[in-house]
Amino acid sequence: MEALKRNPLVKKIGLNRILLVCVLIVMYIGFAITSPTFLSYSRILSAMNYVYFLGFLSLGVTFVIATGGIDFSIGPVMFCCALISGYCLTSYGVPMVPAMIISVFVGFLFGCFNGYLVAYWDIPPFIVSMASMNIAKGTASVFTKTQSVSWPQSSSAEGWYRNLIKIGNIPVGLFIFLAFAILCAVILNKTKIGRYILCLGSNTEAVRLSGVNVKRWKMAAYVICGTLVGIAAIFYVAAYTTVQPGYGDQYNNEAIAGCVMGGTSMAGGLASISGTVIGVFIIALLQEGILALGLNKNYQLIITGIIVIAAVYFDVLGRRRKN
Amino acid sequence: MGEVILTMKGIDKSFPGVHALDHVDLEVRRGEVHALMGENGAGKSTLMKVLTGIYTKDSGTITFEGKEVEFHNTREAQEAGIVIVHQELNMLGHLTVAQNIFIGREFKKGIAIDDKKMNEEAAKLFRRLNIDIDPTETMSNLTVGKQQMCEIAKAISHEAKVIVFDEPSAALTEAEIDELFKIIRDLREQQLGIIYISHRMDEIKVITDRVTVMRDGTYVGTLITSQCTKNDIINMMVGRVIYEDPKTKSMVPEGAPVVLRVENLNAGKMVQNVSFQLHKGEILGFSGLMGAGRTETARAIFGADPKQSGDIYVNGEKVVINSPEDAVKHGIGYLSEDRKRFGIVVQKTIAENTTLATLKEFLNGIFINKKKENQVAQQYVDSLATKTPGVDQLVVNLSGGNQQKVVIAKWLARNSDILIFDEPTRGIDVGAKNEIYKLMNRLASEGKAIIMISSEMTEILRMSDRIVVMCEGKITGELDIAEATQEKIMNLATREIS
Repeated sequence: MEALKRNPLVKKIGLNRILLVCVLIVMYIGFAITSPTFLSYSRILSAMNYVYFLGFLSLGVTFVIATGGIDFSIGPVMFCCALISGYCLTSYGVPMVPAMIISVFVGFLFGCFNGYLVAYWDIPPFIVSMASMNIAKGTASVFTKTQSVSWPQSSSAEGWYRNLIKIGNIPVGLFIFLAFAILCAVILNKTKIGRYILCLGSNTEAVRLSGVNVKRWKMAAYVICGTLVGIAAIFYVAAYTTVQPGYGDQYNNEAIAGCVMGGTSMAGGLASISGTVIGVFIIALLQEGILALGLNKNYQLIITGIIVIAAVYFDVLGRRRKN
Repeated sequence: MGEVILTMKGIDKSFPGVHALDHVDLEVRRGEVHALMGENGAGKSTLMKVLTGIYTKDSGTITFEGKEVEFHNTREAQEAGIVIVHQELNMLGHLTVAQNIFIGREFKKGIAIDDKKMNEEAAKLFRRLNIDIDPTETMSNLTVGKQQMCEIAKAISHEAKVIVFDEPSAALTEAEIDELFKIIRDLREQQLGIIYISHRMDEIKVITDRVTVMRDGTYVGTLITSQCTKNDIINMMVGRVIYEDPKTKSMVPEGAPVVLRVENLNAGKMVQNVSFQLHKGEILGFSGLMGAGRTETARAIFGADPKQSGDIYVNGEKVVINSPEDAVKHGIGYLSEDRKRFGIVVQKTIAENTTLATLKEFLNGIFINKKKENQVAQQYVDSLATKTPGVDQLVVNLSGGNQQKVVIAKWLARNSDILIFDEPTRGIDVGAKNEIYKLMNRLASEGKAIIMISSEMTEILRMSDRIVVMCEGKITGELDIAEATQEKIMNLATREIS
C-alpha cells in the first residue's frame, strides 16, 4: 500500500480517485450479476440520464463547497428553473432556445441571491440555502399554478432539445457533461477565480488581509453554482420531460454526496473536479442499481443519506490525521 | 526549598521540519519558584505543553510525586495537580467570576447549577489569596490584571501542587505585578512548586529561587538565582547566536520624506486619537504592554477593522482606506502576529501564497501563468533564504520562520513600500529570528518604511530607529533610539492615563 502511494503515476492521478474508479467497477459488476439487464447498452444509456443532470448539480456545488460553504437549494432550484422555463414554453409560447436561456438565467439569479447574502450579509450558507430552497419551491408553484409541466416529446416539433442527451445510440449528453467538467476543472485550477475560491476556502482572513476582495469571489462561487444548476435543469427535462412543483430535495444530498466522495473537503480549500465526476457516476449507478434490485425510492434516500455521512466522516478523519 | 516534586528528563519532541525539544531536563521542588527562561522559540512553551498533556512527547520521562506520569490532556494533568496559567486569558467575558472559576465542574443542586455555593467557594479562594474581587462580578468588567488573578484562583481551586505561570506579567501594570508577586510568595509558603516563565530579567532576580535556561530547544543549564548575575543568564540564553548589532542611533537619512502620516485615528476603545509619522527607510518600533492597542492600530490603518475617524496620508496625499484591498493598493503590507490565522493559506503551496496579493500580474488572459509564478516564488525563496525543497511545497510543512518569510515574500512581490510587521519573530526559532532582523534592516536600507510592533524590549531596542509607546489605546510617548532605555519605555507603557 505504501509503495503504491509513492508510485508517481498513482500520485499524479490520486489514490483516492483510483480507489473510487475501482468502487465504480465493482459496483457495476455486482449489479450486472444480480440484474443482467445492466449489461445491455440501452440500459446503460438510460442510467446515464441520471448522470447528466446530477453531474451539473455536483459540479456546481463543488465550487460552493470549495469556499467552505454549502448549498442545499440546488435540487429545488433546478426544478424551479425547469418549471418556469417549461411553463413559458408551453403556456406563453416562448420558443425552445429562449426557454433554455430562461432556465439558465433563473439558476443564475438564485446563485446571485445566495451568493450575495452569504458573502455580503454574512448569513450562514446553511440558512441562506435552506431559505432559498423554500423560495424556489414556492416561486415555481406560484408561477405554474401548482401544476406539473411537461416539456415537448421527441416526436413534436420542438422535441429536438432531447438530442442534447442522445442522438440514436450516441450519448451526446456524456460528451457535453465531460466538456463542462473539463471547463470547470480549468476554471478551478488555472484561473484567478478558482485560485481565490480555493484559497478563501482554506483561510478567508488571510486572503482578505492580502488585499483581495473576498466577498466578490465568494459570491462568484455561488453564481457559478447557480448557473450550472440552470443547465442541469435542461438536462433533467431532456431526460424525463415532466417536472412537478414542490420536489427536488433529494438531489441536494445526491449531488453533495458525489462531490464529497470525490475528495472535495467540506471544510473548504480542497476540491477535485475529476473526483466529483467519478463520484457522480457512483451515485447515479447506485440509484439505478437500487431500483433494478427491486427496492423502492425510499431505500435510495436511506442509502444516499448514509453515503453522505460516510464520505464526510472520511474527510474529517483524513484532516484529523494530518493535524 | 523542599523535596523534588516534578522531574522532566530527556524530553524530546519533533514537529515536521522542527526539532522543538532536544532532550530537555527540568526539576522543580516544593516551595520553589523555578524560572524557565529562553528566547522566543527556545521551546519553553512546548515543554510546558508536553508537561500538561497538550502535546505527546516523543521520548523522555516525567516523574511527578515519585511516580512516572503521562497526561493525555490538560484535564488529566489538572486532576493530578499540575495547572497552567496561560499568557492569553481563557475567560468567558459574559459569565461571572465564580462561574468562570468553576466552569466544567459546577456545583449542582439537583439538576440546577448552585450559583450560591460557587460564589461562596470563590470568595473563600480569594480570601486565601488575599485578593479583593467580587465573585458575582461579570468577568469582562474586570481589568486584565484582575482577570489574571481569577485565572490564578482557578488554578489553585484545582488543588494544584505545581503551577506554571506563562509570562504572567506581560499585560500587567507595576502595581498589579507587585500584587502578583505577593500571591506567588504565598503559594511558595504553602509548599507549591511554581514554574515561572518570563522574559523580564529583573523579575527573575526578584521572585525566583532557581532558573533553568533553554536555547534552540535544548537544555542549557540550571542556576541558583541568588548566585548568578543577569549576564550569566543572558549568555546562556543567547549562546552562539550573534544578533544584529543594536542600534545606537537612527539610521534614517536626514530629511527622509514622510511616507505615512496618521492623524487622530480612532477605532473602538483600543485606538484613541493615534497620530504619528513614518519616514522612508525608517523602522518605527511600537512598544507597549499586551492589550495596549498596537495591533488594533495597525489593523485599523490597514483597513482590516473599521475605524470611526482619523486621516491617513500616504506620500503626503490623503487616502481613504476602508478595506485591506484599499490599503494594499496604496502600497501598505501587513504581516500579522498570528501567521496561521491571518498570514498564510496553509494548505496551499509557497508559490500560491507568494502571489496571493499580486495574482493580477501573473495572468495570461484569464489563465494563471504557473511558470512565471514559480519563477518569482523561487526568486524570493533564494533571496530570503527560505528553507524548502521547492516552491510547490505546502506552507503547512514549513517551520514558523520560513512561513514568516513566505508572508514577507508576498508583500515584497506586491512591491509594498510601507510594511507593518506585527510581532515579526513570535514563535520563530532563534537562528531564523536573526535572519528576519537582517532582512528588516536590509529592507529599510533599500527605502522601505517599516512599522514594527513588538512586545520584546530587546527587539524594540535592537531594531528601531524611533520608538512609539502605547498604553490603553493611546500613544503615551515617542523616543529616539539614541535616548531610549528599557526604563523609559516601561514608564511610558505603564503610565496610568487619567
